[in-house]
Amino acid sequence: MDAASTLISLGLALATPIIGGVLAGFDRKLTARMQERVGPPLLQPFYDVIKLWAKKPMIASSLQPVLAFGYLGFALIAAGLVTFRQDLLLVLFVTAIADICLTVAALSAKSPYSYLGARREFLSMLSYEPVMLLAYVAIFLVTGSFTVQGVLDYGMPLLLVIPAALVALQLVLVVEMKKSPFDVSGSGHAHQELVRGVYTELSGYTMALVEVGHWAKVATTLMILSLFWAPNPVIGAAIALAMFVVTLVIDNSYPRLTWQKMLRTTWALGFTLIVLNIAFLALGGVI
Amino acid sequence: MNPQTLIAVNIGLPVVVALASLVLNDKKVRSAIISLSALFLISSSILLYTGGGVVFSPAPVYETAVLVLDFALLGYFLYLGYKTRSPLVLGLALLQLLPIAYFEFVLKGAHVEHIIVVDSLSTLLTLIINVVGGVILIYTLSYMDEHEHRLKVERSRQNQFFFYMVLLLGAMNGLVYSNSLYWLYFFWEVTTLCCYALIRHDATEEAERNAVTALWMGLVGGVGLVAAMYAGYYSVHSIALTELIAAPHSQVLLIGFALMALAAFTKTAQFPFHKWLLGAMVAPTPFPLIDSSSMVIAGVYLMLRIAPAIQGTTLTYVVAAMGAVTFAVTSFQAIRENVAKRVLAYSTIGNMGLILLCIGLNTGLSYTAALALMFFHSVAKGLLFMGVGIVENRLDSRHIRDWEGLLGKMPLVSKVMILGMVAMFLPPFGMLLGKWVAVDAVASMPSLLGVPLMVLVVLGSAATTFYYAKWLGFMTVLPNTLERSKTESLKAPYKLGLYTLLGLNILVSMGAALVIGEIVNPIMLVHYPQAVTTPALALDLSFTTFPVLPLWLAVISVMIIGTMVAKGKGGALSPPYLGGENVEGKPVTFRTTADSEVAVNVSGVYLTSYIDEDRIDRLSVGVGILIIALLFLVVII
Repeated sequence: MDAASTLISLGLALATPIIGGVLAGFDRKLTARMQERVGPPLLQPFYDVIKLWAKKPMIASSLQPVLAFGYLGFALIAAGLVTFRQDLLLVLFVTAIADICLTVAALSAKSPYSYLGARREFLSMLSYEPVMLLAYVAIFLVTGSFTVQGVLDYGMPLLLVIPAALVALQLVLVVEMKKSPFDVSGSGHAHQELVRGVYTELSGYTMALVEVGHWAKVATTLMILSLFWAPNPVIGAAIALAMFVVTLVIDNSYPRLTWQKMLRTTWALGFTLIVLNIAFLALGGVI
Repeated sequence: MNPQTLIAVNIGLPVVVALASLVLNDKKVRSAIISLSALFLISSSILLYTGGGVVFSPAPVYETAVLVLDFALLGYFLYLGYKTRSPLVLGLALLQLLPIAYFEFVLKGAHVEHIIVVDSLSTLLTLIINVVGGVILIYTLSYMDEHEHRLKVERSRQNQFFFYMVLLLGAMNGLVYSNSLYWLYFFWEVTTLCCYALIRHDATEEAERNAVTALWMGLVGGVGLVAAMYAGYYSVHSIALTELIAAPHSQVLLIGFALMALAAFTKTAQFPFHKWLLGAMVAPTPFPLIDSSSMVIAGVYLMLRIAPAIQGTTLTYVVAAMGAVTFAVTSFQAIRENVAKRVLAYSTIGNMGLILLCIGLNTGLSYTAALALMFFHSVAKGLLFMGVGIVENRLDSRHIRDWEGLLGKMPLVSKVMILGMVAMFLPPFGMLLGKWVAVDAVASMPSLLGVPLMVLVVLGSAATTFYYAKWLGFMTVLPNTLERSKTESLKAPYKLGLYTLLGLNILVSMGAALVIGEIVNPIMLVHYPQAVTTPALALDLSFTTFPVLPLWLAVISVMIIGTMVAKGKGGALSPPYLGGENVEGKPVTFRTTADSEVAVNVSGVYLTSYIDEDRIDRLSVGVGILIIALLFLVVII
């Protein structure tokens, strides 16, 4: 890797929070329009985070600051692994550390609401991690590699070969973005029984760190989704953006479900889709 | 030093020290001898590892000795069967005694030219057994004092405990050196005996019961090995492992390998034999500790040994299936478990399953994964288990639910344990790296075989993340109102044990590429083509890479910057939101209707209403028996 592409990769990894932040603003705008409201300005999420950062620091447990930064830090490492075209499985494992930082920060406060959120966040991880892993296995079976580089070298758009895997990843995206019907562990707005779930005990700068971390995570996942049309990054980005919009539409049209239903849906639908896709390819002699 | 001497030391010294600790009632002298011999064993295993292999037969007098001791041992098992009123033990002991007698005296056995064959695999196993086992012995010195103090025993029975603990090390060493299946079987049975004695050490009713379970399940493995001797005798007229492995396949020989696989299943506690390892958790912690980190790998060793010989057979994939099923199911069982040591037991069984899955796939890549997982599992599980033992003694509770906020109460042990947990399932530690290679290995199989196994693997590994993460999180429940202690006092052997294994974990994880390149590859290259290269201290699988050092660097930077941000911004500790007015001065309590005070309780996540232990248990016994039946069916048909 030469110096120029190293810089580009590094820049892209560090830009994930900004991309994610703009998308969050877009989310609020679009959601408002769907609910026939005007909505805040596009950059509102950034104003919010800046304000949060400036607030008087208050923490509910001494571990929270490190863990909140850990969430952002590991999300950035995961982003870096993608932009440096590394192994997708590693991206998943490093993202898991970020998620664990968040849940532990929530648990450490001993608040019933953040506890409930943490418990459901664990369940969310349980519901999307295996599906995501299996989708990467499908990518491996087609391209012969687990790396982002391998997908780029493959030449053909993955969407044409493993479309069902992308549908399964759409489910994953809903869980990861904490959108309805799978926003069980905490979402953008408060819920009756949950307050703000895993986020309840975060405030000020720790909340800001977690918010930025979340943007980085969402942007990283979208980057991975854009790989489904790797030969042309513009089409790839369009696919990822389309899935982002679909998530928002789903968010606004479905009521939230219980975690049991979330687990059942992601596993049953996710596994079936991917396994059928692989079986189809195997029968067709593609792999 | 002469490798033959080192081998004699590794088997003989534990026997001598075991006998010495049995008769020595002076605790100081005993402790000194045990510490010294632990150091001795560690150094002799390192010397043997660096010195390389050797092939020889000991003097005939040793052969006679093994024969005599074996019959004595079987006689003792018969006596135990009679004493515990267990027809199962009686029957299984007879099933060994009679065939062995017939084999040795009527058939006149099969001559084995080289009884001891020590190669790179044996020396690695010895290294793991003696280094981890030696550190555990030192830790045990502190542990047993606290243990007996907690149970308020009147007459110390530590000398018996140490007798079997040290003997176990010697037997394990003997097991990995033996080329004669008969010798291997003998040492195998000695480990079964140690298992039995150590599990029933506390002499409670539960301990007695679990000890008998462990005994008969161990004896099943023994019967399998005896039958395998016959299979060897009737197929190639040999019971030398080297000859069995080199011989051309015949049905009888393959039945022999299936029998050895059965024995491996019993030792690694695969379904339906998982009960003994779970039951073993009633023993004082040093036993489950040495059991999980260095004894169960006896079964793994046997499979690693015979795997190259069953390449390309259906048999090998049945082994893989067994491992995959056990890994997936036990990982979910661990979620609902509340007893700390049983969570670790499930984790051990599951990881052994994952290793057997890799061995069963029988490719260069999967064999590499198996060796790496075995290596990293021993050091990580050892560390975690040590912490659990200390906590269990000090809290006087086996239950995780009593561990809430342990980080505040026992900061030192908790921190070490949290690192131990992280070492078990997260990057950049070795176990995760091993699992990563394992996933790559499963994915590289033909999809008809690979995809079903992969589904089991991804489910199992997601469940693993779940149960470790929630346990870890629960230990950190630290509301600002909680009282904290600065640090706890730990005796020198405890500290020595914890810090040695902690250091070892970080060292081998950072140098994972060296572990693979210098330790694992030489062993797998004997039978398989190279699958993993290690350029620039990273792992290169030709279709993907694991950047070990950059990842470590990134993780450490996050920790450092995170600490700096936390220091810089700080923040006043405030009480959590409870949905009502917080009560001043009381931890996590709020006022509800009519000013009555409610203390908030959070508990762990166990999903007990979704994971029905008994039903899954019955089911897994059934599935286990089915897979074992399949093991023989695929050979016979």
